[in-house]
Amino acid sequence: MTLQRASRPVAHCLRQSSSTRHARTLATTPIDPSPPTPHYHHHPTPSPAPATPSQPARPPQRSSSLSRSNAPLGPEDAFQEARAFLQEDRREKLEAIGLQRVKIARLQDRVVVGEQNGEVERRKQREKDNRVRSMGRRLEEMKVMADINDPMVKKRFEDGQGDMTKPIYRHLANTQWHSYKRQILLQRLTQMNVMPDVLPALDPIVSTGLAFPTTSSTTPTRSRLKRVQHGDFVPSALSSQTPTLWIQPYNKGTRLCTVAVINPDVPNVEKDGFDHRCHFLAVNLPISPINTRVRLGELGSTSESKGDVLLPWLPAYAQKGAPYQRMSIIILEQPSPTLTPIVTTLLGAVAESRELDVTSASQDPRYNTRDGFNLRSFVDRYGLKAVGADLFRTKWDEGTAGVMQQAGIVGWDVEFRRKRVEPLPYQRKASERYR
Amino acid sequence: MTLTHPKAPSMATLACLQSALSTLRTTHHAVPAITHITRRKASHQAQGRANGAKDGAGKRLGAKKTGGEYVVPGNILFRQRGTHWFPGDNCFMGRDHTIHAGSPGYVRYYQDPARHPKRKFIGIVFEKTQSLPQPTHAARRRQLGMLAYQMPTPPQPEIATDETSAAPTKVSDGTTVSIRNSKMNPGGLQLTLGPGYQYRQSNYEIGRSGDKKEAAANAKGKTIRAFAKFKPGDRFAAWRKSVVRVARSRERKVMGRGGKGGAKKKN
Repeated sequence: MTLQRASRPVAHCLRQSSSTRHARTLATTPIDPSPPTPHYHHHPTPSPAPATPSQPARPPQRSSSLSRSNAPLGPEDAFQEARAFLQEDRREKLEAIGLQRVKIARLQDRVVVGEQNGEVERRKQREKDNRVRSMGRRLEEMKVMADINDPMVKKRFEDGQGDMTKPIYRHLANTQWHSYKRQILLQRLTQMNVMPDVLPALDPIVSTGLAFPTTSSTTPTRSRLKRVQHGDFVPSALSSQTPTLWIQPYNKGTRLCTVAVINPDVPNVEKDGFDHRCHFLAVNLPISPINTRVRLGELGSTSESKGDVLLPWLPAYAQKGAPYQRMSIIILEQPSPTLTPIVTTLLGAVAESRELDVTSASQDPRYNTRDGFNLRSFVDRYGLKAVGADLFRTKWDEGTAGVMQQAGIVGWDVEFRRKRVEPLPYQRKASERYR
Repeated sequence: MTLTHPKAPSMATLACLQSALSTLRTTHHAVPAITHITRRKASHQAQGRANGAKDGAGKRLGAKKTGGEYVVPGNILFRQRGTHWFPGDNCFMGRDHTIHAGSPGYVRYYQDPARHPKRKFIGIVFEKTQSLPQPTHAARRRQLGMLAYQMPTPPQPEIATDETSAAPTKVSDGTTVSIRNSKMNPGGLQLTLGPGYQYRQSNYEIGRSGDKKEAAANAKGKTIRAFAKFKPGDRFAAWRKSVVRVARSRERKVMGRGGKGGAKKKN
C-alpha cells in the first residue's frame, strides 16, 4: 500500500511530462539487461504482489528530475516528491487567488446603470453587492485552501504559535473549537435553559474563557487566575473578585463588543417567581483575533484597556435555601454605522462597529438599574447581536454571607424554605388505622 | 322391526380395560366392578394450553387525574407500564414510570414536536388559562414555591480571606489534632480528622511507623528487631529462632483464644 501511495506522485509527474521522454520509463520487465534485484531494506512491510496492474514488480525508474542512478527509491524520496507535489499545488492556488482578486476589483469598478429611476438600479446594485460578497467569501476559502496542506502550518498551530492575523490559523482554531468545546458550551447553555430564559436564541461564533483571580497562601502578593469551565459551580469567595474574560473571534478585523452578566434566577417571593439581575455591563470593548483578553476590573481605567463600564462587577450570590443561580455572560456585537445591518463587509472582514452612547444608556432608567434588567430589551434598543456566551453557577456556601456583607447586600441572613402545599381533600375512613 | 342399538362391549372387555386403567388411577375409592360409560366432551381445545400465560388481576393502570384537574406535588397523574406518556413541565417520573405532579397546578396532556416529534407529555400549568407546550423562544414559566424567613441563628460571616480555602471546608481538610500527654494518646501521635468524622493516623503513617522506629533505634546504635537479620546458610540462628517461635505458639495454644480459655477448658 505504501508503495502504491509513494508511486502516485511519480506517476503524476511522469504523466505531466512531454512525450519526448522514454516510452518505457515505468516498466515491469527490466530495461537494462542485468539489473540487480530490488530489496526494500528500509521498511519491514513486504512488497505487494506484482499481479496488480498499477504496481510494477520492481521499483519504477526515476524521472530525470531525480538522479539517474538505479538505486531503489526509499520513503525519503517519496516524501520529497510529495513535498514537490504540494508546492506545485500551492503555486496553482496562489495564481487562482491572484486571478480572483483581479476579478473582484474589476467587478467593483463596474458601474451600475439602470432605468426606471432607481428600481432597476437598486436591484442591480444589490445583485452586484451579492456577487462581490460571495466572491469575497470564495477568496477567503481559497486563502485557507492554499495553506491547509502545509505540515509546518499544522505544526505551528499545534504548538500554539499560529499567527491569528492569518486566515489559515483562524480557520484551524475555529475548526478545533467547533469540534468539541463549542458543543460542550451549547450543551450547557441548552440544558440549563439559558437560551429561552435570558435570550431567545444564541449561536456562538466567538469562543470564550473565564477566570477568577485568587491569591493563594503561598503567593500572597501575586494573584493567580483560576480557570472556570462552562457551567461550573464557582465558590462565592472566588466570584466576589472581578473576573478576566477571553473573547476569541475567528473573523478578521476589530469590532466593538458589549459584555453583560445576567442572573435570571433571583427569587421573588411576592410574585412567586424569578427576576433578572445584571451583575456587570460594559460597552465599546474592542475585540480582535489577536486582542482577546478583557480584564473586566480594569476597563476604562488604563489607556490600553478601552471600554466603558455602565454597571461594575457585583459579586454573585445565592441565598440559603434558594436553588442555584446561573450567571450568564453574554457577548454582544455592536452594529456597524452603515444603514444595512449586515455586519461583514463585502470582502469578509468585520465592519467598523458603532460606538454606543454611554451617557444616554447610563441615564436610561431601564438600563442603569441592576434589578429587573431586561437583556432582550437592551439588545433590541441598541440593535446588538449575540455572538458568544459563557456560564457559571453559584450556590450558598460558607463564604456567601461574608461576601454579601462586604458588598453591602441586604439579606445575608435570609433563608428560603419550601412553601407548604395543602394536600387535596380525600375521603377519610372511620377507623384511626386508615389515616 | 327391532331397532339395532349399538352393541355394548362385553364384560370381559370391560374388565380388561378396568385392570389396565387401575394403575393410572390416583384415588383408590371403592370402585364397582363394572363402571358406567361416561360421555367424553367433543373437543378438549377448550381446556387451553397447559403451560400458557394466565391472565392476572387488572392493575388499575391509566390516568388518575384528567386534564384541567387541580393537583398538588406528589399526586399521581398516570399509571403505566413503560412510557406511553412522558413527564413534561413540572412533572416527574417514578421508578415504575408513574407520572407524578411536581408542583401545584392544573394538569395538561399535550404534544411538543419541538421536544420530540412523536412523544406525548403530561405537564402542569400554574393558571387555568395557560396551556402547553410553552411558546418557543419565550422565557420559561417558573414558580419559586418558597418563602423567605429570617435565619434563627445567623451564620458567622467569615470575611472572605484571600486564602485558597475558597472551596467549602470539607471534612478531610487535614485539620490536625495532636493530643499529646493525654491518656487517650500516650504515643503523642498526630491525628487528623478523616472522612467518617474519626480522628486517626493516616494509613501511610501507620505503615511507616515500623521503619521510623527502627531508624530512630539505629540512630542510637540499637535495634528493635527481636532477631538478627536473616542470613541464608546460618542454620544455627534459624534453629534458635524456630525454637523460640514453637515455644511461644505452644504457650498461646495452652492459653486458648480468650484470656482464660485454657483454664476454662481444664474445667
